[in-house]
Amino acid sequence: MRYQRLGLDLVSHLLLAAGCGLFFLPVWLAFTASTHSMSDLYTHIAPLWVGDVGLDNYAQLLSEPVNGLKTGMLRLLFNSLVMATGIAVGKIVISVLAAYAIVFFRFPFRRLCFWLIFITLMLPVEVRILPTYEVVANLHMLDSYSGLILPLIASATATFLLRQFYLTIPPELVEAARIDGAGPWRFLKDILLPLSKTNLAALFVIMFIYGWNQYLWPLLITTDANYMTVVVSLKRMLTTGDALVPWQDVTATAILAMGPPVLVILLLQRYFVKGLVDAEK
Amino acid sequence: MAILHLTRLKKRYPNGFIALHGIDLSVTEGELIVIVGPSGCGKSTLLRTLAGLESISDGELTINGRRVNELEPAERDIAMVFQNYALYPHMSVAGNMGYALKNRGVPKDEIRRRVAATAELLGLGELLERRPRQLSGGQRQRVAMGRAIVREPQVFLFDEPLSNLDAKLRVQMRLEIRHLQKRLGITSVYVTHDQVEAMTLADRLVVMNGGHVEQCGTPMALYAEPATRFVASFLGSPAMNFLPVTIHQGGVVLPNGTPLALPVDIPEGRAATLGIRPEHLLEATSTQNAGVILEVTIEMLEPLGADMLAYTRLPGLEEWLVVRLDGAHAAREGQRLSLTFSPAYCHVFDADGMRVSMTEAADAKARAVQ
Repeated sequence: MRYQRLGLDLVSHLLLAAGCGLFFLPVWLAFTASTHSMSDLYTHIAPLWVGDVGLDNYAQLLSEPVNGLKTGMLRLLFNSLVMATGIAVGKIVISVLAAYAIVFFRFPFRRLCFWLIFITLMLPVEVRILPTYEVVANLHMLDSYSGLILPLIASATATFLLRQFYLTIPPELVEAARIDGAGPWRFLKDILLPLSKTNLAALFVIMFIYGWNQYLWPLLITTDANYMTVVVSLKRMLTTGDALVPWQDVTATAILAMGPPVLVILLLQRYFVKGLVDAEK
Repeated sequence: MAILHLTRLKKRYPNGFIALHGIDLSVTEGELIVIVGPSGCGKSTLLRTLAGLESISDGELTINGRRVNELEPAERDIAMVFQNYALYPHMSVAGNMGYALKNRGVPKDEIRRRVAATAELLGLGELLERRPRQLSGGQRQRVAMGRAIVREPQVFLFDEPLSNLDAKLRVQMRLEIRHLQKRLGITSVYVTHDQVEAMTLADRLVVMNGGHVEQCGTPMALYAEPATRFVASFLGSPAMNFLPVTIHQGGVVLPNGTPLALPVDIPEGRAATLGIRPEHLLEATSTQNAGVILEVTIEMLEPLGADMLAYTRLPGLEEWLVVRLDGAHAAREGQRLSLTFSPAYCHVFDADGMRVSMTEAADAKARAVQ
């Protein structure tokens, strides 16, 4: 039911606008702060408008090694991108195969397998971080992309989501494909993947952001600045000892770090909502 | 020549349930076999074992003389039309129809040519680029047929293909399927629970019940001489009337004491069932010299236009006796009716539901009455 009353419309729009403002304000503050010089930031209260340095802080940040680190911002962004993409793609590949096996193949302990995967939902990275660290250390994967990515690419959430979607595929479709001579791989490639396109896009967005925002794990296993991610470097910038915190750099880095996830959402948002809301018929 | 040959085909599920108790059947080239029965009778299971979607527990299945028990569905040279069509939603009509050929490695040009020819045949030429969701039910049905035809298989399997269509379209598609099947000489096995569909389409009809074949033959043979009470009750609408009778002095006696002279080949004193179809009960007129007259009261009427169904009861009997009257009949509820029938149209079934043959004498007499 939709109410057609001017007053109600006005109030709801005002509320929505206020909500948007509330969410946007910190981002705006970070942006304005990143356009001021360091001395400005320490002599004035938090600025609400862009400062006189313009984008100079960004230019400097991107061209010179980051404070206290022997590496540049571009490298940090690249590391984050590799990790986030690796995690997102890895999670999708593994979940697609796992859900495919669980839904479409009959093998002993199928149900048990599903529940084993499912209960790992209750074990977040933080709970199992020490044993995971030991495994990765023993495999000599500290300070490497594989060390950053591999321990995080098994996903019960994605497996579960895909399983739910696969269960909605009518059995006749599977049988028609069998009669049409499509083997398991063909069926996956020609029918299942095209049908779950929107779900995969939605999963990619969620998992990319999940990977991009990882903090504890990369902090733990990277000591080499060449493998540090941008999110970890933010924290590093704040620990300056006796020197003043370069807030203009910190905020600029925060703005830069927001870029790729926002871009991914903008590119895939059409699928994102569709994939989570309705199964395309 | 038998294209499809089933020898004592059995299907046992892992949980011990036996869905098919040894089915024997031969289908000759170009024949349309309809398998009909109530839900749970094993007709769909039978079709699925033919397709290779279910494994065969015992017995042998050959297609064109080749044993196919262990072959994958795609290797059996069959095509199947599903009840919900099972079209691939993300592929165009052309993609749907050509998918099997593509998987078989048929060259692209040939796929295009064959798809186009089949689409022409089915009147789908304009729709080749559409997606299934942009099509109406009847068009989807046609695409599903096209997907089967384009492969040029040895045997077509239809799994209740018309159940999802509305009544009018169902009649139209039924004719279309029959027409195509005859024109292309397609050997087909068609499963349905709809006895009208079964009667109208079939060259030969297989009535199944509880995993057994009850009877197999042409529709009219099954209608005229049902081998079991089950077949008698399943074919024909409205269904055949059944009255419990006992055998007495070479004839049958209704529970209310009315004797009927029907010399049947069954021992004295046994319980049996007398069956007679609604259209074989006639209103007795004074000019007729009929042997048996049944006096009944009309309790309900169902006007169908061309016919009028009268639900009547014999005095002292619970069973309905449905009579098919002329549509213009002036019958009213509560009215009394005198019915007569020819013994030739009577069916007698023993306590196990098997047809009891009339003695030679009875047959001769029945013919004489006619």
